[in-house]
Amino acid sequence: MKVVESLKIKEKVYIEKLNNGLTVMIIPKETTNKKFVIWGTHFGSIDNHFIVPSTNKEITLPDGVAHFLEHKMFEQENGVNSLDKLMALGVDPNAYTTNNHTAYYFECTTHFEEALDELMDYVQHPYFTDENVEKEKGIIGQEIKMYEDDPSWQLYINALDCMYQNNPIKIDIAGTVESISKINKEVLYKSYETFYHPSNMAMVICGNFKPEEILEEIKKRLVQRKEQGEIKRIYPQEEPKIHQKNKETSMEVSVPLFAIGFKDRIEQKDMVKRHIAVEILLNMLIGKSSKLYQELYNAGLLMAEPDISYDFSEQYAYVLITGQSKNPKQIEEKLKEEIKKQKENFDVEQFERLKRKVYGDYVVEYNNISDISRMFLSDFFKGINSLEYIEQYTSVSTEYAKQILTEVFDENNEILSTVLPKG
Amino acid sequence: MSYQKITLKEGIYFHKIQTNKFKTNLFAIFLTIPLTRENVTKNALLAAVLRRGTNKMLTQEDISKQLEEMYGAAFDCGIDKIGDNQSLKFYLEVVNNQFLPEKEDLVQKSLTLLTDIVFHPLVEKEQFKEEYVQGEKENLKQIIEGKVDNKATYALESCIESMYKEKPYGLYKYGYIEDLKDITAQNLYAYYQELIQNCQIDIFASGDFGEEKLEQIVEKAFATYTERKPNLALEEETKEEIKEPRKKMESKQISQGKLVIGLDVKTDKEEENYKTVVYNTILGGGSNSKLFQNVREKASLAYTASSSYARRKQNIFIRAGIEIENYDKAVEIIEKQLQDMKEGNFSEEDLSNAKNLLLSTIENIPEEQDTEITYYFGQELAGTEDTIEMYQEKIKNVTKEDVIDVANKIQINTIYFLTNQGGKE
Repeated sequence: MKVVESLKIKEKVYIEKLNNGLTVMIIPKETTNKKFVIWGTHFGSIDNHFIVPSTNKEITLPDGVAHFLEHKMFEQENGVNSLDKLMALGVDPNAYTTNNHTAYYFECTTHFEEALDELMDYVQHPYFTDENVEKEKGIIGQEIKMYEDDPSWQLYINALDCMYQNNPIKIDIAGTVESISKINKEVLYKSYETFYHPSNMAMVICGNFKPEEILEEIKKRLVQRKEQGEIKRIYPQEEPKIHQKNKETSMEVSVPLFAIGFKDRIEQKDMVKRHIAVEILLNMLIGKSSKLYQELYNAGLLMAEPDISYDFSEQYAYVLITGQSKNPKQIEEKLKEEIKKQKENFDVEQFERLKRKVYGDYVVEYNNISDISRMFLSDFFKGINSLEYIEQYTSVSTEYAKQILTEVFDENNEILSTVLPKG
Repeated sequence: MSYQKITLKEGIYFHKIQTNKFKTNLFAIFLTIPLTRENVTKNALLAAVLRRGTNKMLTQEDISKQLEEMYGAAFDCGIDKIGDNQSLKFYLEVVNNQFLPEKEDLVQKSLTLLTDIVFHPLVEKEQFKEEYVQGEKENLKQIIEGKVDNKATYALESCIESMYKEKPYGLYKYGYIEDLKDITAQNLYAYYQELIQNCQIDIFASGDFGEEKLEQIVEKAFATYTERKPNLALEEETKEEIKEPRKKMESKQISQGKLVIGLDVKTDKEEENYKTVVYNTILGGGSNSKLFQNVREKASLAYTASSSYARRKQNIFIRAGIEIENYDKAVEIIEKQLQDMKEGNFSEEDLSNAKNLLLSTIENIPEEQDTEITYYFGQELAGTEDTIEMYQEKIKNVTKEDVIDVANKIQINTIYFLTNQGGKE
């Protein structure tokens, strides 16, 4: 097994790629009683158009299949629902679907072996019938409605719609009531066969484990699968420029919500370094101690620090700043001014201070085995080992940060999505 | 892990949790007083004003810079309703010295900063800084108005409010807009001085402290404080017999209806709490629960269906997000579940599933610093000293008969529905 270690934070990850293509990452944690296993496939809502390796046929899925599949995986042929079975053991199981991956996990203190049996059993044994697929449409329909009522979700989807013209990232992960009506068991099986192949999957295990022993436990439980070639994913052409500058909608909120985005280009290398720099820059521009935040707070335009994030995969990369304000337009204007100021006169002292802060933020991620495991899995599907953030942190120089400031925070790539109060 | 409580003075307690599970240390200070209509808004405002500046760091910007220098230490404050009491909560989370890229001591710095924020605020001419109070009044107003934004929590708040009209527990923890106009920088400061003289003070430190002399730092910080009797509210109210549950409907622009059913647990015995905890878990604790299985899985009526137990008030709140036209059907199915519980229509397996879920939740308490602090603070306020193991033992001992016994002490108090059609009482 390959071992990657960080001496700074005293953490190690053991990595093994098995013969069937599955990557297993083990992060031993001696001081916790909890155990966490997450098993993910590189299949998310954006993977809706691809060539099936076994038949070489091109296929387009209705929106929402990855998420629908996630819902249906728990049902077993013998009538058992694996979620229930795991809960009955006192184990905390769940699953989620993102734009680029789907994951199944559980956390436990006792009954680990039985829980691992169950997880590895249900993920490897799909069971879809016309009846159980139909039934799920009612439940997912309610979930979609819940999101329709959620102003922050609408804000987010609209921000993506501003940035992207064709990229499927702008489609709701759950799909629509209309699109899921087209899902049937054949669609689900076909997607399963393609994407739930070990060579398209990865597993992360965190807890008080001996890496060699737990690896054997995993191997024992794997079902033989035929080899599969590479899945050719087809994504629409996306122009580097934004789709539209603004989008607004009205919902029942008391104070407007805003999301300011910067569409970034997709870089093939140095994404970790770029990510660290963007996080430091975002803190400099509108973080808690920034002049801008203080000004907006004192003017009653911001009540709390906006949420800042940089999200990326091989298909997209963007910055998002979201919050609540009486006057979103003004926040946007002020932010643009601040970016201009920093470009003209970069505050080095502030940069050094926020670099320390960002380091602390990364260390805190290692407090919780569930956060650790999810982070390693999600980074893996981006081709990243999470420990790189701790190790590369020192390499982010002032010069580099200035360069990223110019590249990423470009006014031409900026968008504003707002949710305004009704009436 | 070890937990230690040190009484600094009557009403002032230092709780130390030594644990090596984390990369961080977490410090917390809680100020607790009885919840009243008169003070609820002031308390919410006070927590916000205190974080604005100390006598050494005059602005929020100064405080933030200091926190960032400390490798992004995180300060947070808030207000909590705990039964009929209210707590002002202040937290500081900081990376443990062992994991810093260079050698530094952040423990003393953290405690100093946190105590400065709570006990040495910026004061000008015997009052808080005018600008801060005005700014925070405006913010608080927006928070109170924002109550309606999250429909699920709004529905729960509204149900509680209608069950506890004119009573402390029915108060909104952030207070009321109409109170704001009478609060000034001067009278808020006078109120603050009175509060810190009388409130209960709990100081928590959780982390891997090794040889560090935390006790000395804390003792020194509170040397000038006098002992106090905070007169916190005890929960001893008896539930009235309810023949016909109250029904309340309210209308907002939503596409999914929010159903909240408030239940009374008619008991005043401490040991029955554990039985009720188990009862609640069977009813609506997780995906094995009767509510989840019957409302979501079998009837496909909802995406969420669960219940939670507010033990200090002896209430259980059932919550479900449903299609509006399914209201009657959902209520009927839920009532059926309550009846089934009374008649013992649940299996030994349901019981053991619920216990397993609870035992593992309890086992996980020491795995999160703030959860562990909240647990010990809960013990403190309840006047009990259950260790995690004792708590688990009590859950293990609950029998099916115990659960049926509790089920028969439960009545529906209020059925609340947030809909998009004309509301009615």
